[in-house]
Amino acid sequence: MQGALPVSLIPGDSVLHRVHPLPKMIWVVLYVVVAFMTQNIIVLYGMAVLALLLGVIGGVVKPLLKAAFIIVPIGSSLLALQLMAPAVEQPWTQIAQLGPITLYEDGLYYGLVLLGRIVACLLMALVVVMTTHPSDLFTTLAKLKVPYTLNFMMAMTLQLIPVFQREVGIILSAQKSRGMKGNGFQAVLPSFVPVFVGAIERVQQLSISLESRGFGSAGHKTSYRQVRGKASDWFLALLAIGVAALLGTVSILRGGWNISGLLVVEPATAVTVWVVSATVFLGIIALALILSFRKS
Amino acid sequence: MAKKSPLPTPAEARAASEHAIVVSDARYVYPNGKVVALNGVSVTVDHGELLGIIGQNGSGKTTLTKLLNGLLQPSSGTVVVNGIETTGRTVQEMSAHIGYVFQNPNHQLFARTVQAELEFGPTNIGIEGEELAERVARAVEFFGLKDVIDEHPYRVSFPIRKLVGIASIVTMEPSILILDEPSTGQDHQTTSIINNLMRKLAEQGTTVVCVSHDMPLLADVVERVIVMKDAQIIADASPREVFADKPLMARTNLQAPQITEIALQTVVPLGGPIALTPAELADDLGARLSSKG
Repeated sequence: MQGALPVSLIPGDSVLHRVHPLPKMIWVVLYVVVAFMTQNIIVLYGMAVLALLLGVIGGVVKPLLKAAFIIVPIGSSLLALQLMAPAVEQPWTQIAQLGPITLYEDGLYYGLVLLGRIVACLLMALVVVMTTHPSDLFTTLAKLKVPYTLNFMMAMTLQLIPVFQREVGIILSAQKSRGMKGNGFQAVLPSFVPVFVGAIERVQQLSISLESRGFGSAGHKTSYRQVRGKASDWFLALLAIGVAALLGTVSILRGGWNISGLLVVEPATAVTVWVVSATVFLGIIALALILSFRKS
Repeated sequence: MAKKSPLPTPAEARAASEHAIVVSDARYVYPNGKVVALNGVSVTVDHGELLGIIGQNGSGKTTLTKLLNGLLQPSSGTVVVNGIETTGRTVQEMSAHIGYVFQNPNHQLFARTVQAELEFGPTNIGIEGEELAERVARAVEFFGLKDVIDEHPYRVSFPIRKLVGIASIVTMEPSILILDEPSTGQDHQTTSIINNLMRKLAEQGTTVVCVSHDMPLLADVVERVIVMKDAQIIADASPREVFADKPLMARTNLQAPQITEIALQTVVPLGGPIALTPAELADDLGARLSSKG
């Protein structure tokens, strides 16, 4: 489907595609752990840049940035709201006043921390999803003794995403051919009812098909795909564990490693950030509403 | 980009255009730039013509039909439908002129009742009041949907659902109708309804384009067949000529209707007709038997 978010394997033969899925899963877990242990924005945005670099190495940077675009509305709303009402304990330090709106210095820093966590974890997870074949992931998790049913559900979810994306494309084409406007909320019902019905039917058929092929049978299950790791893969995993342990330890010892005290934020900067983020967020909502009610 | 002028009504456009469809040297390359789905295709279809498109999967049949209603825009060349060049036109604009019935009805049905489903398309192109009610009533009558009119489209059987999908486009009364694999998953009764529909629409002046692997259906109904292979049109003739062309059938991995194959091996070498239907073959065999006394 053209224009769909590419949240699935992007076929390739890069170094990253060839890395064993287990080290890649370890990276994702460590990213989440470190991101939620530290409040150091240099570390957080450094992690995001590293994930982006991995995307470049994996040859998936274009679809990665396309999929990561979803951060824009989330990030802009997050920054705008945090500047007005920080999610940290009071007292807050006022930095600027815009009519009835008060902006707080704590909010700007904490908003950047929250955004950094989302950006870093999302980019890393996307890089791993885009460079790992779902079946390899399935085989790896099976070797780790993850319950077969749970493992199958995860792998199937990843495999069904592109199928449903393609389905949405066909359904939108079918409805446009019937004169439906292709954008906005008015397209939701005609487009998503067939998607959901199709999804339910597909799952029903899949479950019958699985049962008929011995899915629920007891005993040892084998795998067609064989995944073997190289020494370099395990080195990368150990390196990541080492770096994460270091960053985690420093973060704990420094009480979250908050470096807001080292940053000098001018009131004009806070106002600019708030105006830009609020404008972007409200602009996206306005655009969605205009597209919804625009006459074709 | 300058805004395109509003389109004429389907009736005006049809009256003003010499041909229903004119595709000139159309080429379509997928956005990844690697797959050429259509390569220099040219074809002209007259108003009221019944056209079949055949070819192996991946030969470019669906891409060609998607160019016709604006779902895809040609990478080069032109596509003119009812005198309207599709480039720069939206699918919604073209939907009043050209109807497209998708292969799987589940891709287009969403409303709570069959009635609402039949009304959806016409209301999108501004049909309302009595005319809307008449169009729906005509479709209900023709497709035999009276008993399921208040049912949810997903609660009726697949063949009936398929008829609802076709009827939901027919109520828009486009002057060109594209049917993508209309007989897939259909029983004999619904297939004959679809056959009758195609004939009736053509009689009324609607141009019908049918993409299908169902050779007996095409042999029975269409007047002209286009054969596609490797993103190009490699034959364009009557079904009799196409299905009798054994090298063409072999080259495209297609199979003529069984009745035609039987005729080619039995009565054709004796000077009999290239039968497309069992009735044609039976008539010839009957005549031969009676002449022998």
